[in-house]
Amino acid sequence: MAKTQVEDIDRNVYDIKDKDNYDFKIEKGITKEIVEEISKQKNDPEWMREFRLKALEVYNSLEMPTWGPDLSELNMEEIATYVRPKTKLNTSWDDVPDDIKNTFDRLGIPEAERKSLAGVGAQYDSEVVYHSMKEDLIKQGVIYTDMETAIREYPDLVKQYFMKCVPVNDHKFVALHGAVWSGGSFVYVPKNVKLDFPLQSYFRLNSPESGQFEHTLIIVEEGASLHFIEGCSAPKYNKINLHAGCVELIVKDNAYLRYSTIENWSKNMMNLNTKKAMIGKNAQVDWVTGSFGSKISMLYPLSQLNGEGAKTEYTGISFAGEGQNLDTGFKAIHNAPNTSSVVNAKSISKNGGKCTYRSLIKISPKAKGSKSSVSCESLMLDDISVSDTIPVNDIQTDDVEFSHEAKIGKISDKTIFYLMSRGLSEEDAKAMIVRGFAYPISKELPVEYAVEMNNLINLELEGCIG
Amino acid sequence: MDNKKGKNMLRINETPVRTSKSFNINDININETEIENESNVFENVEIIGDSSKIQISNNKTPINLKYGLGEELTNQVKNNSNQEFQIVVDSKTNKETIFNFDFNKTNSSLIENIDILANEGTSATFVFKYESLKDVEAYHNGIIKLNAKENSNINIIIINLLSDNSKNLLAIENTIEKNANVTYTIVDFGGEKTVTNYYSNVAGDFAKSNLNTIYLGKDKQVLDLNYIAELYGEKSNVNIEVQGALKDKARKNFKGTIDFKKGCKKAVGEENENCMLLSDTAKSIALPMLLCSEEDVEGAHSSSAGKIGEKELFYIMSRGFELKEAQKLLVRANFNKILENISNEDLKNLILKNIDLKLD
Repeated sequence: MAKTQVEDIDRNVYDIKDKDNYDFKIEKGITKEIVEEISKQKNDPEWMREFRLKALEVYNSLEMPTWGPDLSELNMEEIATYVRPKTKLNTSWDDVPDDIKNTFDRLGIPEAERKSLAGVGAQYDSEVVYHSMKEDLIKQGVIYTDMETAIREYPDLVKQYFMKCVPVNDHKFVALHGAVWSGGSFVYVPKNVKLDFPLQSYFRLNSPESGQFEHTLIIVEEGASLHFIEGCSAPKYNKINLHAGCVELIVKDNAYLRYSTIENWSKNMMNLNTKKAMIGKNAQVDWVTGSFGSKISMLYPLSQLNGEGAKTEYTGISFAGEGQNLDTGFKAIHNAPNTSSVVNAKSISKNGGKCTYRSLIKISPKAKGSKSSVSCESLMLDDISVSDTIPVNDIQTDDVEFSHEAKIGKISDKTIFYLMSRGLSEEDAKAMIVRGFAYPISKELPVEYAVEMNNLINLELEGCIG
Repeated sequence: MDNKKGKNMLRINETPVRTSKSFNINDININETEIENESNVFENVEIIGDSSKIQISNNKTPINLKYGLGEELTNQVKNNSNQEFQIVVDSKTNKETIFNFDFNKTNSSLIENIDILANEGTSATFVFKYESLKDVEAYHNGIIKLNAKENSNINIIIINLLSDNSKNLLAIENTIEKNANVTYTIVDFGGEKTVTNYYSNVAGDFAKSNLNTIYLGKDKQVLDLNYIAELYGEKSNVNIEVQGALKDKARKNFKGTIDFKKGCKKAVGEENENCMLLSDTAKSIALPMLLCSEEDVEGAHSSSAGKIGEKELFYIMSRGFELKEAQKLLVRANFNKILENISNEDLKNLILKNIDLKLD
């Protein structure tokens, strides 16, 4: 039987570069002087300046990871950690400069806002250039703004939570984030307020040889409910760009948060991101993640189930093509009785790409009556790609139901034969199987994103099977 | 390889692929002082079997392991072994050959090298039983190397019944050629610390590597089991089945790796690990890895942990059994599929007796 030839993704709109037209770009490298200059440029309060310098010390004291993908191509001396675009924060798209606005238009952000979102934030390089939310939510006390505004206007709230969920000594790139962070979103949903439509932040890195270090802090108060979507992309350059964002989610008792991500960074991007949720009593956090882009990704969202009856679900797919090494997965720490975690992870490798599912499920002695169920499936589309599954299951109490399953393999010849016997061409049969494989993830995405994901898959398979 | 960690700590039994250090599973530390040297020959070995079809000598054979437990422990066997067996299988034999290593006060330390060559088309079963008196602090550092030539069929049964204050360190390495079939059955009940590194190079087309393990941990016993199978041959097959139970403050690290190398088309690899937790202070960590560089394969693993089913316990207890007896019955039932690989009734009864003793 002929082979499936899968070409690189047609990144079309994602790859259109704007001129590197910044207002200020910090010199490359990471030194005390550079961190102090970033702090000055951003008009940080004193506590934040001190925080950054402490984080830098931690960064310098920590080793590079001794596991996972090879990060030797990353040279911090070649990365500018702060690039301020030529605009202020706007609340109307009309006020955003044309070149930046056109980029977001191409990505469909303003249109999505009109159609189906309760609020939108858009970051370009190191600063948020647009933020807006529906009036009725403002009246209900919902806060959705950029982090810089939050520090100015809600200092006590930010100070209480900023990098408490993810401490700077967690790993080297979180420490780097702490030192040079800029931009990102702050969301506060008051007690019992339930948002019917999602909020969405979109992160675009345009400047070459630079880094994006946005900080997202979301607090969902008791009984409240939110769906937050983040999207990210960048045009491709020849040299390495770095993304080391940080997401902190505080979800209090009986609250609900769904955090959806479509990551489509360019293939010169090192995506070393950190995400963590602290989940209260009977609260729930669901992660839905699609990882398509980047040269190297290391991303393992963590759900810490701290309250009795807390729940989490992770539904994720990775799609690695030529030159990509996507090392992704999930961590759940069960710290309270009767907590539960459900993991459904899928990966597709093609054209020499490498997908790794790496995870930790830890059930502490306190988490009696807890349940965890993990399922991983990997699909290999050719014999030059790699797919690894590296899960750690750490069970520290007997009163637990834990199960983990993983499967690896290619598209079944029998299934193709069956579909072809029903009149489908081989191409259509394979495309249908891949879409079916990804369906459990795409059905969890908002419809526009599910369509986008299916389009990405179709683009990859279209005309490639011979 | 840098096996040092701190001044006196050695990092041993490393996984073939590392994951985050904070997950505490990449390796295990032992203190240098835990490595005992012994210059006297270990004499308490009894060999039972048919010597007409199997040649056994005390020749020293070269040691060159791909993985092993770590440089220091491999070197100890290389340079300071106190027992060596070179075994050559020349024909088919149905009768098993049993090596009984009995540890006592004068033979408490065994540093051994066992080298088995199974020639083409041969078959044999070997049993290596390590047993010690209760009050003996045994030390065992062993290497078993097997070369299974084409069409050979080798069964190896390893029974660890050392006392609970012993150290049991074992490295196994197999090369399995075309159409050869190698089955290991490992019973790990003894040792304050039991560390096993098992590596199968499933080199030949249609080669098969089966590994079945049962383990029982109690008190503060620690088990660190690192099983690695690399598939190179087309239509080769790996099966790893591990069933265990932990009580008191026992801890088990299970690291199982099935690695499909490029070219092992139509290979199949399966791994199943299940840990019964009999107390709320026992700890079970599992890292069942699947590594894959070949498209046309089928790989699957599953891992589970939890206490014995309450319904099953209730059912058995409603028939008049005490809780402990009911637990024993259920543990035995879980182990039974693996124990079926042992045809020697005396050995099977010895294992069943030890299950009861451990769970009392």
